[in-house]
Amino acid sequence: MRLDDKSSGDVKIVLPAGRLDAASSEELKAKMEGMIGDGCQKMVANLDSVEYISSSGLRVMLASLKQLRKTGGDLKLACLKPYVRETFEIAGFTQLFEIYDEEEEAVEGFGKKG
Amino acid sequence: MAAMSGSLLLTLIDKICVIVVAAYLITRTRRFSEVLAGKLTPKNQAAMILTFGAFSVFGTVSGVEISGVIANVRDLGPMIGGLVGGPLVGLGAGLIGGGYRYLLDGFTGLPCSIATVFAGVFGGIVYILNRQKFVGIRGAVVFSVFVESFHMLLVLLISEPYSEAVMVVRETGIPMIASNAIGMLIFAFMISNLIKERETEEERDEYFDELEKKKLELNIAREIQQSFLPEMVPPLKGFDLAAKSLPAKEVGGDFYDFIPISGDEIGLVIADVSGKSVPAALFMVLSRAMVKASATGNTSALKVAKRANDLISADAKSGMFVTLFYAILDQGARTLRYVNAGHNPPLVLDGETGDLTLLKTRGIAMGVMDDAEMEEKVIEIGEGDLVVFYTDGVTEAVDDEYHQFGTERLVETVKKNSHLPAVDLVEKITGEILAFSRGAPQFDDITLMVLKGEKGR
Repeated sequence: MRLDDKSSGDVKIVLPAGRLDAASSEELKAKMEGMIGDGCQKMVANLDSVEYISSSGLRVMLASLKQLRKTGGDLKLACLKPYVRETFEIAGFTQLFEIYDEEEEAVEGFGKKG
Repeated sequence: MAAMSGSLLLTLIDKICVIVVAAYLITRTRRFSEVLAGKLTPKNQAAMILTFGAFSVFGTVSGVEISGVIANVRDLGPMIGGLVGGPLVGLGAGLIGGGYRYLLDGFTGLPCSIATVFAGVFGGIVYILNRQKFVGIRGAVVFSVFVESFHMLLVLLISEPYSEAVMVVRETGIPMIASNAIGMLIFAFMISNLIKERETEEERDEYFDELEKKKLELNIAREIQQSFLPEMVPPLKGFDLAAKSLPAKEVGGDFYDFIPISGDEIGLVIADVSGKSVPAALFMVLSRAMVKASATGNTSALKVAKRANDLISADAKSGMFVTLFYAILDQGARTLRYVNAGHNPPLVLDGETGDLTLLKTRGIAMGVMDDAEMEEKVIEIGEGDLVVFYTDGVTEAVDDEYHQFGTERLVETVKKNSHLPAVDLVEKITGEILAFSRGAPQFDDITLMVLKGEKGR
């Protein structure tokens, strides 16, 4: 799985690509845990290139969200493809995550709260 | 003089062939392997002392005599013994080799025998300094050059008359150093090969152990999961019910359950735990127990779901969650009261109109948050109506190009086969999924439950 990341100010952005299944989710999990371990508090997951997300993928997102919110941080989602959005919706996760259409909006979402 | 040294060197090289064979035979013995592996038992040490002592004696005997001095590889055995087996082995082999030399005549007898003892002890010191490991090819060869130089120094210091000692050193110095270095090279090469072989073996064993463990884990997870699924479907009045779960190779923690509530009421559960293998299987057992405990005697599907969620959330760590659909089937009233906690919405096919309804409610997967907002809804189930409960393993089953079976194919299969009894419909759907995936690996558990309305009482 391709797994890029970049920064915008103090916001870290992860860009996974392809299928987020059990195997690739492990990779993403390691990446996000590493970033949080390095002190990242504001994270955006841009899922524009993710075609499929399994429950393992949801679990990685949930684990990172829980960990970040514990210390006052947050994980916001951006650019969900219809299928991916549906998976989040079915699990009820759309009421848990802040979801944005554009990556910039998600990054700005952090600014508003200061 | 130079010519003489040259022919001497040739003669000594001649002995190298013998050394190669000896090196091969010695390094292949079981005791030597054990010593290399660090097992310095008294028996192993004694065996090494005798072996390398004997090799040292052989070095003396096979030497070439020049001016009353034997140019030889006597020091080689004790050196190797020390480098591989520590100071005791080095000393022992040195005493044997040196002692034998001392019994022979020659004015360099004393320094030569002392040098052999020192060669073994120095080898042992290097062994200890190198944290009880063999020092490697280069280290061993450099070491042998150092020891032979020291040997020559001893001859110069101790032997009388000094002028003859100088001549001996001049004649034999270079050939002694060279032949011992070459002998050492041969041994060190074989030893380091042996060490590498052993490491590769260990890695391979470790890999297989890991694989074995993984297999065992998969089996355990599968057994846990299967042993907690109901063995049979309870008999119902006016309804036909069937269920089946096909675990993936790496089980995903799907489950279903039937819970008697009261007279006409029975609780139906289908759920999918996030994650894989043993952790998922254990979380499945936990979730199932929480739901069962919450459901027994409770006629409100909403209360059951909320209670179960609070219990599961209290125990859910590191993002574990379970999507769960809970329904209470009232066989008398012919109703299904249900709560959907983040699960794939079951399909309802109207027996008369063929209309399709999805059983969705407000809700979120269990274990995500305490006090989650949920909602209970109710539908009637008439004669010929069909409810298909499933987990995402059904719709997300893939063929070898990652095309998904999908909801549409599921609906199509259900519509086409709605006349079948529940148990046959379950078989039909799983058969279609397996035919669709055409041998592509099953990544997730496939779990299905079919409820069919029959003639009322």
